Amino acid sequence: MRPVYVLGVGAHAWGKFPDKPQLQLALDALRAALRDAGLDWRALQGLVAASSRFEGGMGWGLHANEILQAVAELGIPATNVGGGCAAGGIAVHTAFSMVASGECDVVAAVGAERMPKGFIPRPPGIANDISDTDYLRWVAMGATNPAYWALETRRRMHDHGTSAQTLAKASVLMHQNALGNPLARYRKACTVEDVLASPMVSDPLHILEICAVSDGAAAVVLGSQAQARQCGGRLIEVAGCATATGQFGDPSVRVPTVSTAAGHVTSHTSEVVGAVRRACAMAGVMPTDIDLLEMADNTAWHVLAWPELFGFFEPGQSDWMLENGQLGIDGRLPINPSGGFLSFGEATTAQGVLQVCEMAWQLREQATGHQVQGARLAQSAVLGLGANGASVILKA
Amino acid sequence: MTSSPPLPVAEGLFQTQNGSVHLRGTRCRNCNSHYFPVALSCRNPNCHDKQVEDVLLSRHGTLYSYTRQHYQPPPLFRMTPWTPYTLGLVELPEGIRVMGMLADCPNEQIHIGMTLELTTRVLYRNDAGQDVQTYQFSPATQHEAAA
Repeated sequence: MRPVYVLGVGAHAWGKFPDKPQLQLALDALRAALRDAGLDWRALQGLVAASSRFEGGMGWGLHANEILQAVAELGIPATNVGGGCAAGGIAVHTAFSMVASGECDVVAAVGAERMPKGFIPRPPGIANDISDTDYLRWVAMGATNPAYWALETRRRMHDHGTSAQTLAKASVLMHQNALGNPLARYRKACTVEDVLASPMVSDPLHILEICAVSDGAAAVVLGSQAQARQCGGRLIEVAGCATATGQFGDPSVRVPTVSTAAGHVTSHTSEVVGAVRRACAMAGVMPTDIDLLEMADNTAWHVLAWPELFGFFEPGQSDWMLENGQLGIDGRLPINPSGGFLSFGEATTAQGVLQVCEMAWQLREQATGHQVQGARLAQSAVLGLGANGASVILKA
Repeated sequence: MTSSPPLPVAEGLFQTQNGSVHLRGTRCRNCNSHYFPVALSCRNPNCHDKQVEDVLLSRHGTLYSYTRQHYQPPPLFRMTPWTPYTLGLVELPEGIRVMGMLADCPNEQIHIGMTLELTTRVLYRNDAGQDVQTYQFSPATQHEAAA
């Protein structure tokens, strides 16, 4: 394997764009990333797209093919990867591997999404019987995604004494971080009182503690060291890049299943923990070396639980860290200086790519309005349907 | 008009034996892992033979966590009349936790660790006029909890 570098990153703002097709969002993000790298379409030797189940890709998840056919028929390999909400992270990993192997010198990864409104519905075309738990969870109990996270949250309150106020503070912090980020959809400060007064969805989670769904797109261009030197600017190395799947005995309540293991023979959320550990091993770093973490905060619970699961803190320690300002942009471990999913809303397959964009901006000191001072090592973590996890470590 | 017996929300999810309802699951004969609903294979990577059989799961368990659903879930889920309800995660002696709605469980009585037993409740009446029921967990009576 040879070292891989970030040549350029770009993103479309997050929000609701009813007049802009998914393909347009993807092209906007890719153009921005190429412009950032100082390259044009002809420089690309491969394109990897996260497959969306909602729009585009000719109904077959062929989003990379669709992009090339729309804008540059280069004849280069088009790779389309699935991975639910982790597909963006997996797309970055595939692009990384294509460069690391020496197969290509310049490869782009893109995730673009236009989300339907409200609770994410079940995909069409699957049998209505007990072989599909995504059918069962609806017909037998109406288990929405927030219900799964609420079950984890209630248990955390029981195990660690996490208070409703601390949970609300996690959401307040994410919204505060987004104030200075023009890409974020929700850029309005809120208070603990606002969060606790917002409608209860699945108690103990209020609507301001659960991420919305958004439209958005992000792209990264990765390349060899020679290419990175040609492009100029601060060298940002992809020091660690890993994907993983769930492990047997994982006690997490995983959407859309209706049962889980009661033992604790392996990590909770083992797909993400596995990817985070592999990325750290590849980069040769420990959690204590990481300067900032961009992670999937589908709810306020994730902000507290995930850093503990990854080994950044002891179980139950996040509450204290949050209460003492250690998770803020100027804290010991800034979590989601971008504002996270709670401020962006989740544009599923674009999310894992956006995390890499944000880390690159932070390490280049271009995160105007939400800059973590002196950040040199940043890590991402994202979870997807099917027990998919991905994690990327960038090093300046 | 004679009323027909209620239909299950999904065929093969639960069954009644000797007047008591049980969830249908799968047990691995080799490593004794249990699964719900029924599974095609054992998922334990250290289990090589993976000889599985369908079993009826224990009717009693303890509440591991719960949440009250304040918003009506999207279609596929039907409940008439719709009211906010509680979902529980119930730990069974087989070493698995099962999600399900809670019945007869007022908010002030719910607590983690409480003993629950399996029951069924009608969710709605279908277009053909038949009642459709799902499994739920309700507080165990003293006698049954001790059993």
